[in-house]
Amino acid sequence: MEQATPRPGAGPAGTGVLAASMRVFDLSLGRMLWSRRTIFTALVAGLPVVVALVLRTLLAFEVPVMQGGVTGPVVFGLMFWGFVVRFAIPVLAVFYGTALIADEVEDRTITYLFTRPIPRASVVLGKYLAYLVCATSVLLPAVVLTWLLLAPIDGALAASFPDLVVDLVIVVVGFVAYGALFAAVGTIFDRPLLFGLLFVFGWENLALALPGQLRRASVAHYLQGLVPHAMPADTPLDVLQRAMTGAPGVLECALGLGLVTVAGLLIAARVVSNREYVLEH
Amino acid sequence: MTPVISAAHVSKWYGQVIGLNDVSVTVQPGITGLLGPNGAGKSTFMKLVTGQLQPDKGSLRIFGEPVWRNPGIYHRIGFCPEQDAFYERMTGREWVTALARLGGMDERRARDAAAEAIARVDLEEVADRRIGGYSKGMRQRIKLAQAIVHDPELLILDEPLSGMDPLGRRRAIRMIREWGRQGRSILVSSHILHEIESMTANVLLISSGRILAEGDVHRIRDLIDEHPHTVYIRAADPRGLGREFLAHPGVISLRFEPNALVVETAAPDAFYERLTELAASGACGPIEELTSPDDNLQAVFKYLVRS
Amino acid sequence: MSLVHDQSYRRYTGARRPIGRAWIVILRTTLGALFARRPLIGLLLLSWVPFLVRTVQIYVVESYPQAVEVLAVSPRTFRDFIDFQGLFAFFVTIYAGSGLIAGDRRVNALQIYLSKPLLRTEYIAGKLGALMVCLALVTLVPAVMLLIMQVLMAGNLALHRAAPGLLPAVLLASMLRIVVPAMVMVALSSLSTSSRYVAVMYAGLLFVSEALYGVVARATGSTRVAWLSLPRNLDVVTDAIFRLPSQHDAPVVLSALVLIAFVVASIVVLERRVRGVEVVA
Repeated sequence: MEQATPRPGAGPAGTGVLAASMRVFDLSLGRMLWSRRTIFTALVAGLPVVVALVLRTLLAFEVPVMQGGVTGPVVFGLMFWGFVVRFAIPVLAVFYGTALIADEVEDRTITYLFTRPIPRASVVLGKYLAYLVCATSVLLPAVVLTWLLLAPIDGALAASFPDLVVDLVIVVVGFVAYGALFAAVGTIFDRPLLFGLLFVFGWENLALALPGQLRRASVAHYLQGLVPHAMPADTPLDVLQRAMTGAPGVLECALGLGLVTVAGLLIAARVVSNREYVLEH
Repeated sequence: MTPVISAAHVSKWYGQVIGLNDVSVTVQPGITGLLGPNGAGKSTFMKLVTGQLQPDKGSLRIFGEPVWRNPGIYHRIGFCPEQDAFYERMTGREWVTALARLGGMDERRARDAAAEAIARVDLEEVADRRIGGYSKGMRQRIKLAQAIVHDPELLILDEPLSGMDPLGRRRAIRMIREWGRQGRSILVSSHILHEIESMTANVLLISSGRILAEGDVHRIRDLIDEHPHTVYIRAADPRGLGREFLAHPGVISLRFEPNALVVETAAPDAFYERLTELAASGACGPIEELTSPDDNLQAVFKYLVRS
Repeated sequence: MSLVHDQSYRRYTGARRPIGRAWIVILRTTLGALFARRPLIGLLLLSWVPFLVRTVQIYVVESYPQAVEVLAVSPRTFRDFIDFQGLFAFFVTIYAGSGLIAGDRRVNALQIYLSKPLLRTEYIAGKLGALMVCLALVTLVPAVMLLIMQVLMAGNLALHRAAPGLLPAVLLASMLRIVVPAMVMVALSSLSTSSRYVAVMYAGLLFVSEALYGVVARATGSTRVAWLSLPRNLDVVTDAIFRLPSQHDAPVVLSALVLIAFVVASIVVLERRVRGVEVVA
């Protein structure tokens, strides 16, 4: 049989991993942005804004809510570390990252993507990029809004602006690293969410609390090294830990996060490329 | 001629359950029906052919190329899966366009190709409505549209008529036959015999993970010599015909019906030869109708599965 | 008697369960499906490790009186034990509970269930009961077993005489930690067709409220805002049940009201969502 001539405008030009990833990205972004998942993301991201609004309102009515010389930038720092870095970023990354392929498998729509002339790795990469855009576009404005509401309380916007820029970079970097990690988890495990939650709320908490080098096996350790604010010291153990281990340098953080990202994406791409997906009926 | 699909000793297991068992088959250009009861292995075969699954044993090639981990082959394949699964919030046009883009087309070309494919499945009127609001028949047709949007050489259609109303089925069958006439090769699966029969005489019969028979349904039928062949003859003088065939070699039984004779024979070729002679001589009067109730897929399939 | 038996359709003439008992069928089949999952069995077995540790503690105290100084067994021992079991309860709730109704909704099984002589309340009771049984196996049962072990090893009822409310407190606190999470999870499970989304919603609810409490507590320098966190409310009420001083300054009544509000909200959600046919406006 004669080989068919491809349609004009079609063809192998579109089959490179990056080009194909961008097409998957185009397809996935709209679906991700206008999904119920975004409502959940907005709810999570909106909480610090609500808290900041409540604080501002109470302060406007001269209710003494901030005790012991706590200033607005300090509260923002607390929120950023305690809520954004240790909660919102990993939870949203678990939520999106583990679902990159699992959602398509669960909805049985993966067939349409896997029977197109694109490498399977590009499906992972394209959807990962869509997740990054989607998650950051919801959380970044929330962080900025929270900062705008809190930083002026006993502080100056201009003074804490450089810290805000670093914070925003941390949000993006956090999503990049956690997202890649959970993309890999999502492709390997049948119950990825459980493993993701165990990692974030089990392993990372444990690793950060234990002495020694175990903390290097957590993403939070490297993000912690980038946070410009003073860390909340709620227990003497925390203070002791920090004094003993010290915060990692920026280079170490960048290397650690980069390694997690590259390894996560490579593993995810490899697993998806080799795995057979038997869809349930 | 390179076969469209060639499978050599292909086996596929799902854990302890065997999905396909040592299947060797070649599919030539044209329309081929893949026919078998539920759980026969049709979908497994389709998934292997479309590279969604990898054979545990044996090799499977499309147009002479391996299909597993060979995304380039999908330029030449269009697949309409069985499952009723869509991106429900997208419109039909958006969906087909996006999938055309994944096929490597640029934006403008993808839009044109999507419009063309949607027109071919008669969905222009609802193309800009969300797929979530489509009827079952429309959903089946939009699935067909995404399969043909990149003008593939081989169309693989897994139960494409399921859920369609009779009118929709007729329209879809006409469409598939038309595509076949345009030179596309089509592998279409179904467990409904008359559906396949109305599309093609070229079939692959599958049951319990094995290919039972392949080729022209009538020829398959002829090959089953030991299976009696039933012929219904409506004639002016059925009793005269009965007398003629009473001593004919191969005739197993004769049965009279009002103005008709039903013959069961183990040698259909010899029988038809004699019948032609009788009709030509006019010895038993005019023959008004001649049908073979079991020269159809149903009978062949029943027989093969039973044996 | 005729030699030819009647081959026609015969109606079922045996006994039927009276209306109102069908929940047992739902409970039994759901439990059967849950216990067929090996990871759940593993999780349930793992949750008994603290019981073994505490049993060893009791044994040591009863065998070596000098150990009382360090390992004294008191009502707080049981309260802490129940608190620690919360970790396993969390994972069991997510693993066993997230798909309870979501799975049925996904495959449109609800309309089949509810087309039988089965009340909606029975269906919910069956599902809720299954999750409560699983949770009881990691909270109530080991807690009661621990009480029994203490009596057996001590050979007397001295502890119970000294703290007469201990047994009811253990029962009540365990039930609290079964009923509230089970109600919330079953309600969340009715909100989605994806068990993963449900799991994320539940984890989000717990951790968002906890993170929110952490930030506000640090900003205000007070634990009076413990009512913001679902786990802290359980802690506050549990402390009250055991008549122990609470680690939080939040009013017990307020915490109890928040928990009741969660239960009521869950009932409202279940009433709205568990229907044979979903009417989309």
